[in-house]
Amino acid sequence: MTDFLQNTLDGAALGASYALLALGFTLIFGILRRANLSYGPAIMFGAYVATWVSLNFHVGLFVLALAMLAGTLLAGAYVERLCFAPHAKGSAVAAMVASFALWMQFEELATWALPRHLYAFPALYEGSPLSLGPLLLRPEAILMLGSAVLICAAVWGLLYRTRFGTAVRAVIDDPRAAEVSGIHVGAVMARVFALASAIGGLTGFLIVSSQGQVTPMLGMWSTLKGLLAMMLGGLGSLPGAIAGGLLLGLVEAHSQWYLGPQVRDFLAYLLLFVLLALRPPWMNTRSAY
Amino acid sequence: MLKVRDVVTAYGKIEALKGVSLDVAQGSITCLLGPNGAGKTTLMMTIAGLLKPGKGSIRFQDAEIAGARPHAIVARGIALVPENRLVFPSMTVLENLHAGAYQRNDPIGEDLERMFSRFPRLKERASQPAGTLSGGEQQMLAVARALMSRPRLLLMDEPSLGLAPMVVEEIFRIIGELHRDGVTIFLVEQNAHMALKVAQHFYLIEQGRISFSGNPGSLAEDEVIRRAYLGTARV
Repeated sequence: MTDFLQNTLDGAALGASYALLALGFTLIFGILRRANLSYGPAIMFGAYVATWVSLNFHVGLFVLALAMLAGTLLAGAYVERLCFAPHAKGSAVAAMVASFALWMQFEELATWALPRHLYAFPALYEGSPLSLGPLLLRPEAILMLGSAVLICAAVWGLLYRTRFGTAVRAVIDDPRAAEVSGIHVGAVMARVFALASAIGGLTGFLIVSSQGQVTPMLGMWSTLKGLLAMMLGGLGSLPGAIAGGLLLGLVEAHSQWYLGPQVRDFLAYLLLFVLLALRPPWMNTRSAY
Repeated sequence: MLKVRDVVTAYGKIEALKGVSLDVAQGSITCLLGPNGAGKTTLMMTIAGLLKPGKGSIRFQDAEIAGARPHAIVARGIALVPENRLVFPSMTVLENLHAGAYQRNDPIGEDLERMFSRFPRLKERASQPAGTLSGGEQQMLAVARALMSRPRLLLMDEPSLGLAPMVVEEIFRIIGELHRDGVTIFLVEQNAHMALKVAQHFYLIEQGRISFSGNPGSLAEDEVIRRAYLGTARV
């Protein structure tokens, strides 16, 4: 029973990071109707910027977080300008393939600048975990869960309680009608993209600082987990992205404990396969968010 | 107020507008009639900035607007009620109206009240998603949304399309009211009979060219209607 609760707790924290990655994917997918494969690699680029800063300067975690945020925003803007702004009304496949090309660029750039396979990243918390009865609570896990709740609430408030949010939802509903209502559709898309990049940068910072290491695989890992969680929750739905992320985290944590690490990923993809094959109603959301 | 001169708009190599010129006078209701595929919607979308003209000039209050982006054209005081209404289906009626006022920085409460008193059905359904409204209600919403930007010129693309006769009457009653309130209206219609009742001036467009212009009464109504529906070329 204790194992089960502990795994559920760990899975929820892991799932919170997946949910945030899926949230970023969903914001971009919802408004552009295009998958951005470079979302994870842009986060990896940000992590490498922060790693480079931490290797060359003696700065605190807060500065590293800002460096990572700035790096991810920069990489995200590069992706948006090169892959998505030119294809906003054109081919979705062209945009996706272009974003794959930039993925390769980011990986090459990162391994050229910092060629070792693995770099240490300063940890958020050095002490031992807190205990709650028989359960162990890692402070990074609490921070991840808390950040996920705060970020989701902030995104919800932005979308449903501000004028900018009205514009975003108008563009999602009908880009042409949004244009004739006086909304600058291209500018709204660019700002949503930047918002997704900022969420990615913050999430990535929490992930690498709790893992204590950075590798070039972070890009592919983030894209895979984010896409998987987004698809589990039904494409383009914000509550779906959060649910999909948590589900993925819980399935991984439990299957790793009971069945072993090889079965873990297999089970996650099997779950996606079953959901795509059965197509329960929530997988067919047409309107986003 | 609006001067369109020799506008050519093409989809790829196919010219939908082959040099259109017309004027909309301030304070008037001007109507554009013509058969399907004549270029009526293309002209509306070109004026609203959704399509870029290849040639020609569009002047609004003496400023050139041809090729400007749609949001810039809304900022100048032109609002389009698009064909098929295009309300935001997943957003509530109230949110649709807020979206229409997106560019405004002044308080909009008074205008919301005005819309709700002009369109009482919208008030009843203010918190309902626009996608659940009937066709007529969606048309009212599309008009109200366009008015929320406080336009000086209202472009209406086939506002009666697919609506029941009673609802069409209602729409045209509202067009008359808006006109009395001082809004200049440029109207595209298939329903020539209704349009000629409210318009002060009309144009006939056939195969991408203006083929006739005049005041209602200058051409026998049945002749206008015959050409508006069928076009001269095919008669």
